[in-house]
Amino acid sequence: MIGSLYIGGDSLLHRQPAWRKLLVLFAAGIVLFVVQAPEILAGAAVAAAAILATVRPPLRALRRQLTGVAIILAAIFAANAVFADWGTAFAMLFRLSTLVLLALAVTMTTRTSDMLEVVERVLQPLERTGLVNAARVSLAVSLAIRFVPEIFARYREIRDAQAARGLAGNPVALIVPLVVRTLKSAEEIAAAIDARGFEGAHPSGSASGRTGRQGGTAS
Amino acid sequence: MLEGVSVVRDGRAILDSVDLTLRERRIAVLGPNGSGKSTLVRLLNGLVTPSKGRVAVDGHDTAKDAALVRRRVGFVFQNPENQIVFPIVSEDLAFGLKHLKLPKAELHRRVLEALERFGIGHLAERQSHTLSGGERQLVALAAVMVMKPALVVFDEPTTLLDLRNRNRIRAAITEMPESAIVVSHDLDLVRDFDRAIVIDQGRVVRDDRPGPAIDWYRAHFG
Amino acid sequence: MKTQDIVLIALFTAITVVLGLMPPITLGFIPVPITLQTLGVMLAGVVLGAKRGGLAMLLLVLLVAIGLPVLAGGRGGLGVLAGPTAGFVLGWVPGAFVSGLLAERLAAAEKRPARQVVAFFLAAAIGGIGVVYAVGIPWLAFVAGIGFKKAALGSLAFVPGDLAKAVVAALVARGVHRAYPVLPGR
Repeated sequence: MIGSLYIGGDSLLHRQPAWRKLLVLFAAGIVLFVVQAPEILAGAAVAAAAILATVRPPLRALRRQLTGVAIILAAIFAANAVFADWGTAFAMLFRLSTLVLLALAVTMTTRTSDMLEVVERVLQPLERTGLVNAARVSLAVSLAIRFVPEIFARYREIRDAQAARGLAGNPVALIVPLVVRTLKSAEEIAAAIDARGFEGAHPSGSASGRTGRQGGTAS
Repeated sequence: MLEGVSVVRDGRAILDSVDLTLRERRIAVLGPNGSGKSTLVRLLNGLVTPSKGRVAVDGHDTAKDAALVRRRVGFVFQNPENQIVFPIVSEDLAFGLKHLKLPKAELHRRVLEALERFGIGHLAERQSHTLSGGERQLVALAAVMVMKPALVVFDEPTTLLDLRNRNRIRAAITEMPESAIVVSHDLDLVRDFDRAIVIDQGRVVRDDRPGPAIDWYRAHFG
Repeated sequence: MKTQDIVLIALFTAITVVLGLMPPITLGFIPVPITLQTLGVMLAGVVLGAKRGGLAMLLLVLLVAIGLPVLAGGRGGLGVLAGPTAGFVLGWVPGAFVSGLLAERLAAAEKRPARQVVAFFLAAAIGGIGVVYAVGIPWLAFVAGIGFKKAALGSLAFVPGDLAKAVVAALVARGVHRAYPVLPGR
């Protein structure tokens, strides 16, 4: 339901490891803000578009991802052209376009799981300090992806029920039960995770009894 | 094994001085809504810890050795929607196995084996949210059994299912060789069990063979 | 942090994604269509509190970064975070945190209904609009090189819609708080 933006393929970019692509993207971000000459930045933008083209992205996906940012870029271009000069306006347009196109190319050629692996590796030094726990982070990511379709289905159920009661179009009457139902399910989901021996939440290994609200489950 | 166990929450006693030794292979727990039977079974794998008294599984205190206890005691909940926590079925089964640090091939083999056992091997790569209610409960059961627990606790496993799926889960529970403790209003399911315990207002009010216990339960709460 | 906190955080991230899936609302007097996604940002704070609300939005940013189309209109990926309006998305993290902090301090223990709604509204507006814009506008000004004033002026079109959302967030927060309070500090 929330399928990834990843597009399968075997381009040069697809074959690069995720960390290398992210590193290059990060470096490009810095370099692009140092370079000021519009001619060089125009070249960079053309190169970025060419790189994105090697990925062979479907037009629909491109339109969806780029329409919004194109409008904003046009507004920024206009503002710079009016209040600064053409050179600045073009430099800014090419710089931002390059960044967005490169970033999109990285996203479209990197699997979500590979990206998550990089995140976990970056978190590792932080894990030693006890601030974060990679197991918890990946659990949270998986849970969020897992429950989007579930919550969307609940939303539609509640919407239909409210419409039947003549409350259609009232966002409060729609969202309160959606949030309450979701919060209530959290208790049971957490119990199901704990019951299967998830220890990421209890690094000491001594899981204490949950002290949360229990009223709803005592039957 | 429960010794003098009380559970108090928000000033209200949910369980009151319960003593039980549970050894039989199939045990049913009956009782009206709000009687404390869900709390009773949640004590068995440390999801709830006693306010007073002691709960031990094979000699391990559930409050002190929760991790160890949970490896022996699996738990299947009433609502299958909330116990599948990963987007893909096979990922969900692998979740519990991950911290056993098994090699990848072995992990994969155990996941498939657990699915096959309940005749749902074909669901391995399905997205969790596309499963039907009965499929979900079978996946939830497989996700518990993949950990090879010695005892499985079921909290009203058939309540939210239609008749056909209810029969599938009933058959799965009846056929499994592991010990099971089942909370249920489904009297047909528990009729052939070895023992039935009736809970009311936080106390054990009847502890017998299922036949007489069900008759007694019907007479008092029917 | 207990397992239940992790679950609450993840579920609220999912709620915010779902709110972004709903069709944008167009109102006559407001120049831009309103998406309900930023309502999720406000709600994360006022329903879950500062810490969990902020972490729920951090998780959402992480989902965007790893390439999932979780933002309104099916957008996502590093392109969003590299774009000129990234600050408005990154601002959700401190925004939800501040909303939560204010809700914990001002609204959670308030007994009078009208005052509680007003307190929730202030929490949602200060965090969900004030803080988010305080990150987004300077970011836009810097990245686009258009100066603070023009960036602020360009963002003004979104304020009426966001204020309407803060009202909805306040009413929802009160409803949720009465039915199933999870705000800490009670």
